[in-house]
Amino acid sequence: MSNGRGGRRPSMWLRLLPALSIILFLLLWEMVVRLRGILPIVLPAPSSIFNYLVAMVADGSLPYHLAVTFARIIAGFLVAGFLGVLIGVLMGMSSIFSRIIDPWIAALYPLPKISLIPLLIIWLGTGEAYILTISAVTAFFPVVISTYAGIRQTDSGLVNTARDLGASEWQVQTKVVVPAAVPSIFAGLQLGMGVTIILVVAAEMIGGSNQSGMGYLLIRFGQVMETEKVFASLIALAVFGGVIIKLQSAMDRWIAPWAVKKS
Amino acid sequence: MDIVIEKLVQVWDDGRDGVRALDGISHHFRSGRLTCLLGPSGCGKSTLVQIVGGIEQATSGLIRITDPNNPTAPAARAGERSIMMWQNLNLFPWRNVIDNVAFGLEMDGVARQQRYSRAKELLATVGLKNFEYKMCSQLSGGMRQRVALARALIMDQPILLMDEPFAALDAQTKIIMQEELTRIFEKMRKTILFVTHAIDEAILIGDEVVVMTARPGRIKEIIAIDLPRPRTQELVNSPEFGRLYDRILHLIRQEVLDAMRQQDEAVA
Repeated sequence: MSNGRGGRRPSMWLRLLPALSIILFLLLWEMVVRLRGILPIVLPAPSSIFNYLVAMVADGSLPYHLAVTFARIIAGFLVAGFLGVLIGVLMGMSSIFSRIIDPWIAALYPLPKISLIPLLIIWLGTGEAYILTISAVTAFFPVVISTYAGIRQTDSGLVNTARDLGASEWQVQTKVVVPAAVPSIFAGLQLGMGVTIILVVAAEMIGGSNQSGMGYLLIRFGQVMETEKVFASLIALAVFGGVIIKLQSAMDRWIAPWAVKKS
Repeated sequence: MDIVIEKLVQVWDDGRDGVRALDGISHHFRSGRLTCLLGPSGCGKSTLVQIVGGIEQATSGLIRITDPNNPTAPAARAGERSIMMWQNLNLFPWRNVIDNVAFGLEMDGVARQQRYSRAKELLATVGLKNFEYKMCSQLSGGMRQRVALARALIMDQPILLMDEPFAALDAQTKIIMQEELTRIFEKMRKTILFVTHAIDEAILIGDEVVVMTARPGRIKEIIAIDLPRPRTQELVNSPEFGRLYDRILHLIRQEVLDAMRQQDEAVA
Protein backbone atom coordinates (compact mmCIF):
# COMPACT_ATOMS: atom_id res chain seq x y z
CA MET A 1 0.00 0.00 0.00
CA SER A 2 2.74 2.42 0.82
CA ASN A 3 5.24 1.54 -1.87
CA GLY A 4 5.34 4.70 -3.95
CA ARG A 5 4.85 2.90 -7.29
CA GLY A 6 1.63 0.91 -7.09
CA GLY A 7 -0.06 2.21 -3.94
CA ARG A 8 -3.12 4.44 -4.14
CA ARG A 9 -2.35 6.40 -0.99
CA PRO A 10 0.93 8.31 -0.88
CA SER A 11 3.41 6.97 1.62
CA MET A 12 3.68 8.34 5.16
CA TRP A 13 6.78 10.22 4.13
CA LEU A 14 5.00 12.01 1.32
CA ARG A 15 2.02 12.90 3.47
CA LEU A 16 4.25 14.44 6.11
CA LEU A 17 6.19 16.47 3.59
CA PRO A 18 3.97 19.63 3.67
CA ALA A 19 4.18 19.88 7.47
CA LEU A 20 7.87 19.12 7.35
CA SER A 21 8.44 21.87 4.83
CA ILE A 22 6.84 24.44 7.14
CA ILE A 23 8.72 23.21 10.23
CA LEU A 24 12.05 23.30 8.41
CA PHE A 25 11.37 26.80 7.16
CA LEU A 26 10.50 28.03 10.67
CA LEU A 27 13.62 26.40 12.14
CA LEU A 28 15.77 28.03 9.50
CA TRP A 29 14.14 31.40 10.16
CA GLU A 30 14.66 31.06 13.94
CA MET A 31 18.31 30.09 13.41
CA VAL A 32 19.09 32.95 11.04
CA VAL A 33 17.50 35.54 13.35
CA ARG A 34 19.39 34.26 16.40
CA LEU A 35 22.76 33.64 14.80
CA ARG A 36 22.88 36.89 12.85
CA GLY A 37 21.38 38.91 15.73
CA ILE A 38 18.69 40.50 13.50
CA LEU A 39 16.67 43.20 15.31
CA PRO A 40 13.10 42.14 16.18
CA ILE A 41 11.83 45.38 14.67
CA VAL A 42 13.09 44.20 11.29
CA LEU A 43 12.43 40.48 11.53
CA PRO A 44 11.31 38.88 14.79
CA ALA A 45 12.01 35.19 15.46
CA PRO A 46 9.07 32.77 15.07
CA SER A 47 9.28 31.89 18.77
CA SER A 48 8.78 35.49 19.84
CA ILE A 49 5.97 35.99 17.30
CA PHE A 50 4.31 32.97 18.84
CA ASN A 51 4.65 34.45 22.33
CA TYR A 52 3.03 37.67 21.18
CA LEU A 53 0.28 35.71 19.45
CA VAL A 54 -0.51 33.88 22.70
CA ALA A 55 -0.49 37.14 24.66
CA MET A 56 -2.82 38.85 22.16
CA VAL A 57 -5.26 35.97 22.34
CA ALA A 58 -5.06 35.94 26.14
CA ASP A 59 -5.77 39.67 26.56
CA GLY A 60 -8.75 39.38 24.20
CA SER A 61 -7.58 41.94 21.67
CA LEU A 62 -7.09 39.49 18.81
CA PRO A 63 -10.43 37.68 19.30
CA TYR A 64 -12.22 41.03 19.51
CA HIS A 65 -10.77 42.45 16.31
CA LEU A 66 -11.20 39.15 14.49
CA ALA A 67 -14.84 39.06 15.53
CA VAL A 68 -15.40 42.61 14.29
CA THR A 69 -13.77 41.83 10.96
CA PHE A 70 -15.74 38.60 10.72
CA ALA A 71 -19.04 40.42 11.28
CA ARG A 72 -18.16 42.96 8.56
CA ILE A 73 -17.20 40.19 6.14
CA ILE A 74 -20.43 38.33 6.73
CA ALA A 75 -22.47 41.53 6.32
CA GLY A 76 -20.73 42.46 3.06
CA PHE A 77 -20.92 38.90 1.78
CA LEU A 78 -24.61 38.52 2.57
CA VAL A 79 -25.54 41.78 0.85
CA ALA A 80 -23.39 40.98 -2.21
CA GLY A 81 -24.52 37.34 -2.30
CA PHE A 82 -28.22 38.17 -2.02
CA LEU A 83 -28.20 40.96 -4.60
CA GLY A 84 -25.79 39.13 -6.91
CA VAL A 85 -27.82 35.92 -7.01
CA LEU A 86 -31.11 37.80 -7.30
CA ILE A 87 -30.01 40.03 -10.15
CA GLY A 88 -28.13 37.18 -11.87
CA VAL A 89 -31.23 34.99 -11.79
CA LEU A 90 -33.47 37.80 -13.03
CA MET A 91 -31.04 38.52 -15.86
CA GLY A 92 -31.05 34.84 -16.79
CA MET A 93 -34.83 34.70 -16.81
CA SER A 94 -35.59 37.92 -18.63
CA SER A 95 -33.76 39.05 -21.72
CA ILE A 96 -35.21 42.55 -21.28
CA PHE A 97 -33.77 42.79 -17.78
CA SER A 98 -30.41 41.40 -18.89
CA ARG A 99 -30.20 43.92 -21.72
CA ILE A 100 -30.83 46.75 -19.27
CA ILE A 101 -28.30 45.53 -16.69
CA ASP A 102 -25.63 44.09 -18.97
CA PRO A 103 -23.99 47.38 -20.10
CA TRP A 104 -23.60 48.47 -16.47
CA ILE A 105 -21.90 45.26 -15.49
CA ALA A 106 -19.69 45.34 -18.58
CA ALA A 107 -18.69 48.94 -17.81
CA LEU A 108 -18.16 48.61 -14.05
CA TYR A 109 -16.66 45.13 -13.79
CA PRO A 110 -13.18 46.04 -15.08
CA LEU A 111 -12.96 49.06 -12.78
CA PRO A 112 -10.77 48.29 -9.75
CA LYS A 113 -13.37 48.65 -7.03
CA ILE A 114 -10.77 49.89 -4.59
CA SER A 115 -10.59 53.09 -6.67
CA LEU A 116 -14.12 53.89 -5.45
CA ILE A 117 -12.82 54.41 -1.93
CA PRO A 118 -12.39 58.23 -2.17
CA LEU A 119 -15.88 58.65 -3.56
CA LEU A 120 -17.45 56.34 -1.00
CA ILE A 121 -15.70 58.17 1.84
CA ILE A 122 -17.08 61.48 0.52
CA TRP A 123 -20.58 60.03 0.37
CA LEU A 124 -20.69 57.70 3.33
CA GLY A 125 -17.98 58.89 5.69
CA THR A 126 -15.55 56.42 7.21
CA GLY A 127 -17.89 54.31 9.30
CA GLU A 128 -19.53 50.91 8.88
CA ALA A 129 -21.61 51.98 5.87
CA TYR A 130 -18.45 52.67 3.90
CA ILE A 131 -16.83 49.32 4.75
CA LEU A 132 -20.03 47.43 3.98
CA THR A 133 -20.52 49.21 0.65
CA ILE A 134 -17.00 48.81 -0.67
CA SER A 135 -16.89 45.08 0.18
CA ALA A 136 -20.41 44.37 -1.07
CA VAL A 137 -19.92 46.27 -4.32
CA THR A 138 -16.73 44.35 -5.05
CA ALA A 139 -18.14 40.93 -4.18
CA PHE A 140 -21.34 41.60 -6.10
CA PHE A 141 -19.67 41.33 -9.51
CA PRO A 142 -18.26 37.80 -9.40
CA VAL A 143 -21.52 36.58 -7.88
CA VAL A 144 -23.81 38.19 -10.45
CA ILE A 145 -21.61 37.18 -13.39
CA SER A 146 -21.31 33.52 -12.30
CA THR A 147 -25.00 33.30 -11.53
CA TYR A 148 -26.01 34.77 -14.87
CA ALA A 149 -23.58 32.50 -16.73
CA GLY A 150 -24.86 29.45 -14.83
CA ILE A 151 -28.48 30.26 -15.64
CA ARG A 152 -27.68 30.79 -19.30
CA GLN A 153 -25.67 27.60 -19.61
CA THR A 154 -28.51 25.39 -18.37
CA ASP A 155 -28.59 22.17 -20.35
CA SER A 156 -31.42 22.60 -22.87
CA GLY A 157 -32.02 18.84 -22.61
CA LEU A 158 -33.10 19.26 -18.98
CA VAL A 159 -35.38 22.14 -19.93
CA ASN A 160 -36.98 20.14 -22.75
CA THR A 161 -37.42 17.18 -20.42
CA ALA A 162 -39.16 19.31 -17.80
CA ARG A 163 -41.49 20.79 -20.42
CA ASP A 164 -42.25 17.31 -21.75
CA LEU A 165 -43.13 16.23 -18.20
CA GLY A 166 -45.64 19.05 -18.00
CA ALA A 167 -43.72 21.84 -16.28
CA SER A 168 -45.01 25.37 -16.89
CA GLU A 169 -42.55 28.09 -17.93
CA TRP A 170 -42.41 29.33 -14.34
CA GLN A 171 -41.76 25.78 -13.08
CA VAL A 172 -39.06 25.32 -15.70
CA GLN A 173 -37.31 28.37 -14.28
CA THR A 174 -37.71 27.61 -10.59
CA LYS A 175 -37.46 23.81 -10.65
CA VAL A 176 -34.85 23.32 -13.35
CA VAL A 177 -32.95 26.43 -14.46
CA VAL A 178 -32.15 27.80 -11.01
CA PRO A 179 -31.18 24.45 -9.43
CA ALA A 180 -29.07 23.64 -12.49
CA ALA A 181 -27.19 26.90 -11.95
CA VAL A 182 -26.37 26.15 -8.31
CA PRO A 183 -22.81 24.92 -9.04
CA SER A 184 -22.02 28.20 -10.85
CA ILE A 185 -23.74 30.21 -8.12
CA PHE A 186 -21.58 28.49 -5.50
CA ALA A 187 -18.45 29.16 -7.55
CA GLY A 188 -19.42 32.86 -7.74
CA LEU A 189 -20.10 32.98 -4.00
CA GLN A 190 -16.68 31.47 -3.29
CA LEU A 191 -15.01 34.15 -5.39
CA GLY A 192 -17.22 36.75 -3.73
CA MET A 193 -16.15 35.60 -0.26
CA GLY A 194 -12.50 35.87 -1.26
CA VAL A 195 -12.79 39.49 -2.39
CA THR A 196 -15.03 40.40 0.56
CA ILE A 197 -12.25 39.37 2.96
CA ILE A 198 -9.71 41.42 0.99
CA LEU A 199 -11.88 44.52 0.75
CA VAL A 200 -13.04 44.53 4.38
CA VAL A 201 -9.45 44.39 5.62
CA ALA A 202 -8.37 47.00 3.07
CA ALA A 203 -11.20 49.34 4.06
CA GLU A 204 -10.31 48.92 7.74
CA MET A 205 -6.78 49.98 6.79
CA ILE A 206 -7.74 52.88 4.57
CA GLY A 207 -10.08 55.38 6.08
CA GLY A 208 -11.97 53.17 8.49
CA SER A 209 -12.56 55.41 11.52
CA ASN A 210 -13.98 52.87 13.96
CA GLN A 211 -10.55 51.79 15.23
CA SER A 212 -11.44 48.15 15.10
CA GLY A 213 -10.89 45.10 12.91
CA MET A 214 -7.82 43.29 11.70
CA GLY A 215 -6.96 45.89 9.07
CA TYR A 216 -6.91 48.61 11.69
CA LEU A 217 -4.80 46.43 13.97
CA LEU A 218 -2.23 45.75 11.26
CA ILE A 219 -1.89 49.41 10.30
CA ARG A 220 -1.57 50.52 13.94
CA PHE A 221 1.10 47.95 14.82
CA GLY A 222 2.91 48.78 11.59
CA GLN A 223 2.95 52.48 12.34
CA VAL A 224 4.51 51.96 15.77
CA MET A 225 6.82 49.25 14.41
CA GLU A 226 5.62 46.48 16.66
CA THR A 227 6.72 43.98 14.08
CA GLU A 228 6.00 40.93 16.26
CA LYS A 229 2.37 42.00 16.56
CA VAL A 230 2.16 42.66 12.83
CA PHE A 231 3.31 39.10 12.20
CA ALA A 232 0.99 37.70 14.86
CA SER A 233 -1.97 39.55 13.31
CA LEU A 234 -1.03 38.33 9.85
CA ILE A 235 -0.91 34.71 11.01
CA ALA A 236 -4.27 35.08 12.74
CA LEU A 237 -5.76 36.65 9.62
CA ALA A 238 -4.37 33.93 7.34
CA VAL A 239 -5.72 31.11 9.51
CA PHE A 240 -9.04 32.92 9.87
CA GLY A 241 -9.38 33.43 6.11
CA GLY A 242 -8.56 29.77 5.50
CA VAL A 243 -11.17 28.68 8.03
CA ILE A 244 -13.87 30.85 6.42
CA ILE A 245 -13.17 29.43 2.95
CA LYS A 246 -13.14 25.84 4.28
CA LEU A 247 -16.37 26.44 6.17
CA GLN A 248 -17.99 27.79 3.04
CA SER A 249 -16.95 24.73 1.01
CA ALA A 250 -18.29 22.47 3.76
CA MET A 251 -21.57 24.36 3.73
CA ASP A 252 -21.82 24.07 -0.05
CA ARG A 253 -21.30 20.32 0.20
CA TRP A 254 -23.91 20.11 2.91
CA ILE A 255 -26.54 22.17 1.05
CA ALA A 256 -26.01 20.65 -2.40
CA PRO A 257 -23.73 17.62 -2.35
CA TRP A 258 -24.50 16.85 -6.01
CA ALA A 259 -23.14 20.25 -7.05
CA VAL A 260 -19.67 19.79 -5.60
CA LYS A 261 -17.24 17.75 -7.62
CA LYS A 262 -15.51 15.06 -5.62
CA SER A 263 -11.82 15.68 -5.53
CA MET B 1 -53.14 5.89 -29.79
CA ASP B 2 -52.73 5.88 -33.54
CA ILE B 3 -50.11 8.24 -34.86
CA VAL B 4 -50.43 9.20 -38.50
CA ILE B 5 -47.77 11.36 -40.05
CA GLU B 6 -48.13 12.76 -43.54
CA LYS B 7 -45.37 14.25 -45.67
CA LEU B 8 -43.32 15.44 -42.73
CA VAL B 9 -40.49 17.69 -43.86
CA GLN B 10 -37.83 19.13 -41.60
CA VAL B 11 -35.31 21.58 -42.95
CA TRP B 12 -32.57 22.93 -40.69
CA ASP B 13 -31.39 26.43 -41.36
CA ASP B 14 -27.66 26.37 -42.13
CA GLY B 15 -27.46 29.94 -43.46
CA ARG B 16 -27.56 28.74 -47.08
CA ASP B 17 -30.23 26.56 -48.76
CA GLY B 18 -30.96 24.64 -45.54
CA VAL B 19 -30.27 21.03 -44.66
CA ARG B 20 -33.10 18.64 -45.39
CA ALA B 21 -33.31 16.30 -42.40
CA LEU B 22 -36.65 14.70 -43.19
CA ASP B 23 -37.93 14.50 -46.73
CA GLY B 24 -41.65 13.91 -46.77
CA ILE B 25 -42.15 10.99 -44.40
CA SER B 26 -45.58 9.43 -44.18
CA HIS B 27 -46.47 6.52 -41.94
CA HIS B 28 -49.16 5.12 -39.71
CA PHE B 29 -47.83 4.04 -36.31
CA ARG B 30 -50.45 1.68 -34.97
CA SER B 31 -51.90 1.88 -31.52
CA GLY B 32 -50.45 -0.48 -28.95
CA ARG B 33 -47.50 -1.48 -31.10
CA LEU B 34 -43.81 -1.00 -30.67
CA THR B 35 -42.28 0.47 -33.81
CA CYS B 36 -38.53 0.71 -34.17
CA LEU B 37 -37.03 3.48 -36.30
CA LEU B 38 -33.77 2.18 -37.68
CA GLY B 39 -31.30 4.12 -39.76
CA PRO B 40 -27.78 5.40 -40.05
CA SER B 41 -26.53 8.32 -37.93
CA GLY B 42 -27.97 11.64 -39.07
CA CYS B 43 -30.91 10.13 -40.95
CA GLY B 44 -33.39 12.19 -38.94
CA LYS B 45 -34.86 9.40 -36.81
CA SER B 46 -34.35 11.39 -33.60
CA THR B 47 -35.82 14.45 -35.29
CA LEU B 48 -38.87 12.44 -36.26
CA VAL B 49 -39.67 11.32 -32.69
CA GLN B 50 -39.01 14.82 -31.40
CA ILE B 51 -41.57 16.17 -33.85
CA VAL B 52 -44.09 13.51 -32.83
CA GLY B 53 -43.34 14.40 -29.19
CA GLY B 54 -43.97 18.10 -29.80
CA ILE B 55 -40.41 19.04 -28.87
CA GLU B 56 -39.50 20.14 -32.40
CA GLN B 57 -41.75 21.84 -34.91
CA ALA B 58 -41.79 20.29 -38.39
CA THR B 59 -41.14 22.62 -41.32
CA SER B 60 -44.21 21.17 -43.03
CA GLY B 61 -46.46 18.14 -42.91
CA LEU B 62 -49.21 16.76 -40.73
CA ILE B 63 -49.38 14.73 -37.53
CA ARG B 64 -52.64 13.20 -36.37
CA ILE B 65 -52.80 11.49 -33.01
CA THR B 66 -56.11 9.76 -32.46
CA ASP B 67 -57.63 7.16 -30.20
CA PRO B 68 -58.86 4.16 -32.26
CA ASN B 69 -61.32 3.28 -29.48
CA ASN B 70 -62.80 6.73 -29.51
CA PRO B 71 -62.81 7.89 -33.14
CA THR B 72 -65.08 10.86 -32.51
CA ALA B 73 -62.74 12.52 -30.02
CA PRO B 74 -60.68 15.40 -31.44
CA ALA B 75 -57.11 14.59 -32.45
CA ALA B 76 -54.45 15.28 -29.83
CA ARG B 77 -51.67 17.81 -30.36
CA ALA B 78 -48.13 16.54 -30.76
CA GLY B 79 -46.70 15.93 -27.30
CA GLU B 80 -50.03 16.08 -25.56
CA ARG B 81 -50.42 12.33 -25.12
CA SER B 82 -46.79 11.26 -25.24
CA ILE B 83 -43.73 11.20 -23.03
CA MET B 84 -40.17 11.17 -24.23
CA MET B 85 -37.34 9.05 -22.91
CA TRP B 86 -34.07 10.66 -23.93
CA GLN B 87 -30.84 9.23 -25.23
CA ASN B 88 -28.86 10.89 -22.44
CA LEU B 89 -31.70 10.34 -19.94
CA ASN B 90 -31.69 13.96 -18.69
CA LEU B 91 -32.18 12.99 -15.07
CA PHE B 92 -32.16 15.98 -12.73
CA PRO B 93 -28.92 15.57 -10.79
CA TRP B 94 -30.07 17.69 -7.84
CA ARG B 95 -33.05 15.41 -7.19
CA ASN B 96 -32.94 11.98 -5.66
CA VAL B 97 -34.47 8.96 -7.39
CA ILE B 98 -38.01 9.35 -6.11
CA ASP B 99 -38.13 13.09 -6.76
CA ASN B 100 -36.93 12.49 -10.30
CA VAL B 101 -39.62 9.88 -10.87
CA ALA B 102 -42.31 12.04 -9.27
CA PHE B 103 -41.26 15.20 -11.15
CA GLY B 104 -44.17 15.21 -13.60
CA LEU B 105 -46.76 14.64 -10.85
CA GLU B 106 -45.17 17.40 -8.77
CA MET B 107 -45.53 19.78 -11.71
CA ASP B 108 -49.20 18.81 -11.90
CA GLY B 109 -49.62 19.76 -8.25
CA VAL B 110 -50.18 16.20 -6.95
CA ALA B 111 -49.67 16.04 -3.18
CA ARG B 112 -46.38 14.60 -1.96
CA GLN B 113 -47.85 11.52 -0.30
CA GLN B 114 -49.78 10.51 -3.41
CA ARG B 115 -46.98 11.14 -5.84
CA TYR B 116 -44.50 9.26 -3.66
CA SER B 117 -46.73 6.22 -3.38
CA ARG B 118 -47.24 6.23 -7.15
CA ALA B 119 -43.50 6.70 -7.73
CA LYS B 120 -42.75 3.76 -5.44
CA GLU B 121 -45.13 1.55 -7.43
CA LEU B 122 -43.34 2.45 -10.65
CA LEU B 123 -39.90 2.01 -9.16
CA ALA B 124 -41.01 -1.47 -8.12
CA THR B 125 -42.26 -2.11 -11.66
CA VAL B 126 -38.87 -1.26 -13.14
CA GLY B 127 -37.06 -3.25 -10.44
CA LEU B 128 -35.68 -0.39 -8.36
CA LYS B 129 -37.08 -1.02 -4.90
CA ASN B 130 -35.17 0.47 -1.95
CA PHE B 131 -33.30 3.01 -4.05
CA GLU B 132 -35.88 5.78 -3.62
CA TYR B 133 -33.68 8.15 -1.66
CA LYS B 134 -30.38 7.59 -3.46
CA MET B 135 -29.00 10.36 -5.64
CA CYS B 136 -28.91 9.50 -9.34
CA SER B 137 -25.13 9.94 -9.44
CA GLN B 138 -24.82 6.99 -7.05
CA LEU B 139 -26.56 4.63 -9.48
CA SER B 140 -25.13 2.49 -12.26
CA GLY B 141 -25.97 3.12 -15.92
CA GLY B 142 -28.68 0.45 -16.00
CA MET B 143 -30.29 1.74 -12.82
CA ARG B 144 -30.33 5.28 -14.19
CA GLN B 145 -32.14 3.95 -17.25
CA ARG B 146 -34.76 2.43 -14.98
CA VAL B 147 -35.24 5.75 -13.18
CA ALA B 148 -35.75 7.51 -16.51
CA LEU B 149 -38.19 4.82 -17.60
CA ALA B 150 -40.16 5.09 -14.35
CA ARG B 151 -40.22 8.88 -14.68
CA ALA B 152 -41.72 8.53 -18.15
CA LEU B 153 -44.20 5.76 -17.18
CA ILE B 154 -45.56 7.67 -14.17
CA MET B 155 -47.15 10.19 -16.55
CA ASP B 156 -49.43 7.38 -17.70
CA GLN B 157 -49.52 8.60 -21.28
CA PRO B 158 -50.52 6.17 -24.02
CA ILE B 159 -47.51 7.00 -26.20
CA LEU B 160 -43.89 6.48 -25.21
CA LEU B 161 -41.16 7.94 -27.41
CA MET B 162 -37.72 6.47 -26.87
CA ASP B 163 -34.68 8.02 -28.50
CA GLU B 164 -31.87 5.44 -28.40
CA PRO B 165 -32.28 5.06 -24.66
CA PHE B 166 -29.99 2.01 -24.42
CA ALA B 167 -27.24 3.20 -26.76
CA ALA B 168 -24.82 4.15 -24.01
CA LEU B 169 -25.18 0.92 -22.02
CA ASP B 170 -22.67 -1.91 -21.94
CA ALA B 171 -23.70 -5.04 -23.85
CA GLN B 172 -24.90 -7.09 -20.85
CA THR B 173 -26.89 -4.30 -19.24
CA LYS B 174 -28.42 -3.54 -22.61
CA ILE B 175 -29.75 -7.11 -22.90
CA ILE B 176 -31.33 -6.86 -19.46
CA MET B 177 -32.93 -3.49 -20.26
CA GLN B 178 -34.27 -4.79 -23.59
CA GLU B 179 -35.91 -7.72 -21.79
CA GLU B 180 -37.24 -5.37 -19.15
CA LEU B 181 -38.74 -3.03 -21.74
CA THR B 182 -40.25 -5.98 -23.60
CA ARG B 183 -41.80 -7.25 -20.36
CA ILE B 184 -43.21 -3.81 -19.47
CA PHE B 185 -44.48 -3.26 -23.02
CA GLU B 186 -46.20 -6.63 -23.09
CA LYS B 187 -47.90 -5.76 -19.81
CA MET B 188 -48.87 -2.13 -20.53
CA ARG B 189 -49.33 -2.20 -24.30
CA LYS B 190 -48.47 1.40 -24.94
CA THR B 191 -47.78 2.80 -28.39
CA ILE B 192 -44.01 3.01 -28.52
CA LEU B 193 -41.71 4.63 -31.06
CA PHE B 194 -38.21 3.39 -30.41
CA VAL B 195 -35.23 4.94 -32.19
CA THR B 196 -32.20 2.70 -32.55
CA HIS B 197 -29.30 1.96 -34.82
CA ALA B 198 -28.92 -1.62 -33.57
CA ILE B 199 -30.55 -4.15 -35.90
CA ASP B 200 -30.75 -6.93 -33.29
CA GLU B 201 -32.37 -4.58 -30.79
CA ALA B 202 -34.97 -3.51 -33.36
CA ILE B 203 -35.92 -7.12 -34.19
CA LEU B 204 -35.90 -8.24 -30.58
CA ILE B 205 -38.27 -5.60 -29.23
CA GLY B 206 -40.19 -4.31 -32.25
CA ASP B 207 -43.52 -5.26 -33.83
CA GLU B 208 -42.43 -3.35 -36.88
CA VAL B 209 -39.13 -1.92 -38.08
CA VAL B 210 -39.12 1.24 -40.17
CA VAL B 211 -35.84 1.36 -42.04
CA MET B 212 -34.83 4.91 -42.96
CA THR B 213 -32.49 6.16 -45.64
CA ALA B 214 -29.41 8.30 -45.15
CA ARG B 215 -30.08 12.06 -45.15
CA PRO B 216 -32.47 13.38 -46.33
CA GLY B 217 -34.44 10.87 -44.23
CA ARG B 218 -37.11 8.91 -46.07
CA ILE B 219 -38.69 5.57 -45.33
CA LYS B 220 -36.82 2.90 -47.24
CA GLU B 221 -38.83 -0.10 -46.18
CA ILE B 222 -41.18 -1.28 -43.47
CA ILE B 223 -40.62 -4.74 -42.08
CA ALA B 224 -43.15 -6.48 -39.89
CA ILE B 225 -41.65 -8.53 -37.08
CA ASP B 226 -44.07 -11.39 -36.53
CA LEU B 227 -42.03 -13.18 -33.90
CA PRO B 228 -44.25 -14.42 -31.07
CA ARG B 229 -44.40 -12.69 -27.70
CA PRO B 230 -43.37 -12.89 -24.93
CA ARG B 231 -39.89 -12.58 -26.35
CA THR B 232 -36.60 -13.24 -24.66
CA GLN B 233 -32.98 -12.96 -25.61
CA GLU B 234 -32.89 -16.63 -26.76
CA LEU B 235 -34.75 -15.48 -29.85
CA VAL B 236 -31.53 -14.26 -31.43
CA ASN B 237 -30.54 -17.89 -32.05
CA SER B 238 -33.66 -18.72 -34.04
CA PRO B 239 -33.54 -19.00 -37.83
CA GLU B 240 -36.37 -16.45 -38.24
CA PHE B 241 -34.32 -13.91 -36.33
CA GLY B 242 -31.34 -14.61 -38.55
CA ARG B 243 -33.39 -14.17 -41.73
CA LEU B 244 -34.82 -10.84 -40.53
CA TYR B 245 -31.37 -9.71 -39.47
CA ASP B 246 -29.87 -10.48 -42.88
CA ARG B 247 -32.69 -8.77 -44.68
CA ILE B 248 -32.46 -5.57 -42.64
CA LEU B 249 -28.67 -5.57 -42.75
CA HIS B 250 -28.86 -5.79 -46.53
CA LEU B 251 -31.29 -2.85 -46.61
CA ILE B 252 -29.32 -0.67 -44.29
CA ARG B 253 -25.78 -1.34 -45.48
CA GLN B 254 -26.02 1.00 -48.47
CA GLU B 255 -27.62 3.70 -46.32
CA VAL B 256 -24.84 3.53 -43.75
CA LEU B 257 -22.24 3.79 -46.53
CA ASP B 258 -24.09 6.82 -47.93
CA ALA B 259 -24.23 8.43 -44.49
CA MET B 260 -20.49 7.88 -44.02
CA ARG B 261 -19.79 9.44 -47.38
CA GLN B 262 -21.95 12.47 -46.44
CA GLN B 263 -19.96 12.87 -43.24
CA ASP B 264 -16.68 12.65 -45.15
CA GLU B 265 -17.88 15.33 -47.54
CA ALA B 266 -19.00 17.54 -44.67
CA VAL B 267 -15.55 17.33 -43.11
CA ALA B 268 -13.73 17.89 -46.39
